[in-house]
Order: sequence, then structure tokens, then C-alpha cells
Amino acid sequence: MEFLLNFVERTGAKAVGWWGATFGVLAFLAEVLSTLARPATWNRATLDTIVKQIYFTAVQILHVYLIYVLAISWVIITITLSTARNVGLFDAAAEMIIRVLLLELLPFLTALLIALRSGSAINTEVALMKVNNELDALSHCKVEPMQFEFLPRIAGGVVSVIGLTVLGSVLTLLLAYLAIYGLSATGLSAFSTTISSVFSLPVLFGLAVKCIFFGLAVTTLPMAAGLETPKKLFMVPVSVLRGMMRVFLALVLIEVLSLALKYI
Amino acid sequence: METLPADQAAVVSPDLPLRANQSARENIALIPLYQKHFDAEEASRQARTLLEQLGFASIGDKRDPDMKPAERFVAKLARALILRRSRLIIERPGAMLYDIPYPAFLRELAARYDGAPATWEVFDFDWNRPLY
Repeated sequence: MEFLLNFVERTGAKAVGWWGATFGVLAFLAEVLSTLARPATWNRATLDTIVKQIYFTAVQILHVYLIYVLAISWVIITITLSTARNVGLFDAAAEMIIRVLLLELLPFLTALLIALRSGSAINTEVALMKVNNELDALSHCKVEPMQFEFLPRIAGGVVSVIGLTVLGSVLTLLLAYLAIYGLSATGLSAFSTTISSVFSLPVLFGLAVKCIFFGLAVTTLPMAAGLETPKKLFMVPVSVLRGMMRVFLALVLIEVLSLALKYI
Repeated sequence: METLPADQAAVVSPDLPLRANQSARENIALIPLYQKHFDAEEASRQARTLLEQLGFASIGDKRDPDMKPAERFVAKLARALILRRSRLIIERPGAMLYDIPYPAFLRELAARYDGAPATWEVFDFDWNRPLY
């Protein structure tokens, strides 16, 4: 009986904890959206900070990202082409590459890279700001942390995920063309027909929405986790751990939902 | 101490730190930038002028961890002064200026500064009264 009571108590506490965390994230997201909608938010200072964040999140890692995309794309394109040749589906190889790499793998890996590099940094920074009272100091000075610290990072994250995915996709398309047709221009017509048949308007819209959700996940979840940190320095690593776990789960959830909507 | 509405008093306190990843000048310039909507260059100029007036122009590019206690205090003070509130409260200066004779240092800074508010209110522990 005591075992059962403990089990119910533990499960209840976990459920309440999850609900509290989910509610916290949703409330934070609602605040972000309401700040976004306020015209007063969009002043020169906010835009400057957003540009700075895009630089830190996307431009600084551009060369690393492109090498990473080059390596992954090259391996996947080679595997796809050789498999397609073996099973007699070489004509469908270009479409397979576009569907697997451009629509699914690249956006996911881009979001994962930004989560690991910038998401973890955002989580740590917000947690430290909370612990050191820096957020209170900004509020005392009537510099809203949401406008100065949070919103630019979120906007920067979303723009970076979209921007890097687009760049990576262009590079992958180029690589795929070279792998299939070589340096000859004879395949241009067939290749562009394949691209346009895959990238219909609903697919493009779905991809954009997925990238926006990825961008929101890799920025808002670490921030919300940072803001939940109790004012104790030793809780900062715990906050980063929780935040990054939530980011990973959210990325997988977004990817699975997008696949389910598309193919099931 | 009574609680004051945030827009009446500017507080310099050990509990209100500088933004750690920004320089002293950037911390001060945040106020004209976000509150008065000056452009970045003008906000930075105002911050630099204030630091020069307080005699600490050299700390402009330093970040919080690189500053000595007196420099950190001056950056916090400048951030409070640029708020242009009707009252300036310095809370527990001994906790921020632990390595210098701070009453004399505060008088020196107050003498250099000629803007508003003209009176600075210092809240300190009672046992530090003989220092003043």
C-alpha cells in the first residue's frame, strides 16, 4: 500500500513539474509574441541587437557550417546514388536526395548545430544573469530584458536557422547536380524540373514553418530554462542540462510531426 | 529601507550588478539607447562624457570582471546618474568599495559631478557611522 502511495505521489509530483515547466515555456512564448507585436519594440536599438545576434549565431559559424554540410551531403548523396544505381532507380535519385537531405536532414541538423552552439550558450547566459541579479538590474534601469536580451536572440535564432538551411540547401543542390551529371549542362532541365516538382508551394510553406519552429525551439526553450533557475550558482549546470534536453525533445517532436503530416 | 517606485530613485547597490558581457560604456549607454531612443553613437558619447566627468574615462572599454572595485562602482554610479531620476541612493557602499576609504571617495566623485540630482543619499550600516 505504501509503495502504491509513493508511486502515486512521485507520478503526481512529476506531472505537476512537467505542467509547471510547460506552462512556463508557453507563458514565456506568449510574452515574446506580445512583445513582437508591440510597435514600440521595433526601434533602432532592437534591430541593431538582432543584427548582432544573427552575426554571432549564423555568420560566425558559416565556414564551419558549410564544411559540415559539404561532408554530410557528399556522404549521403554518394550512398543514395550508389544504392539507386544498384536497385535500378537511378532516375529517382535526385528526388530522393532532395526529399531526404533538403526537406528533412539539413533543417534538423542545422537546428541541432545551433542548439548545441548557441542554445547552450543562451541557456547558460540567461541562467547566470538570473543568478547574478543582472535581469533585476536591467529592470531597475527600465531596460526591458525581453526587448534587450531575449527577443533579439530569438529573432536571431529563427533567422539563422532559416538562413543557414537555405545556404546549406543551395550547396547540397549544387553537389547533387555535380554528382549526378558532372560538369555538363545537359542535366539542367531535368534537374530543375525535379526541384520544382518537389518544392511545391505547400511543401515550401511547410519547410518554412518547420524552420521557424526549429528556430523558436533552439532559443526559447533554453531561455525559459535559464529563467527557471533558482538563484543558486550550483543550479546553473542543472538548468543547462534541463534546457538542452527539452530542446532535443522539441526538435525530435517537430521533425516527427512534420514527417507525419507529410507522409502519413 | 522604504521601497521606492523605480522611476523616482536611481539606486547604486551591490544587488544591482552591471551586465557582465558588456563594457562599462555599453552598460551606461543602454539607458539613453533604450529609454530616450538616441542612436548608438550618441548614447555611447553620453556615456563617455559622464565617465570623463567622474574622472574614469579609462574604464569605458572594461567589462565587469576586469574592473577594480572602485571602477565597477563608478560604472554603476554613472549608469544610475544617466537615468536622471529625482533621487540617487547609494546602498551599502562599503560592500562595493571594500578596499578604499569610501566616504572620501564618494565626496570626491560628488564634487566632480555637476548634474542632477545634486544630493546623493547614502544608506550604510549604522556601525560605519564613524567613517563619515
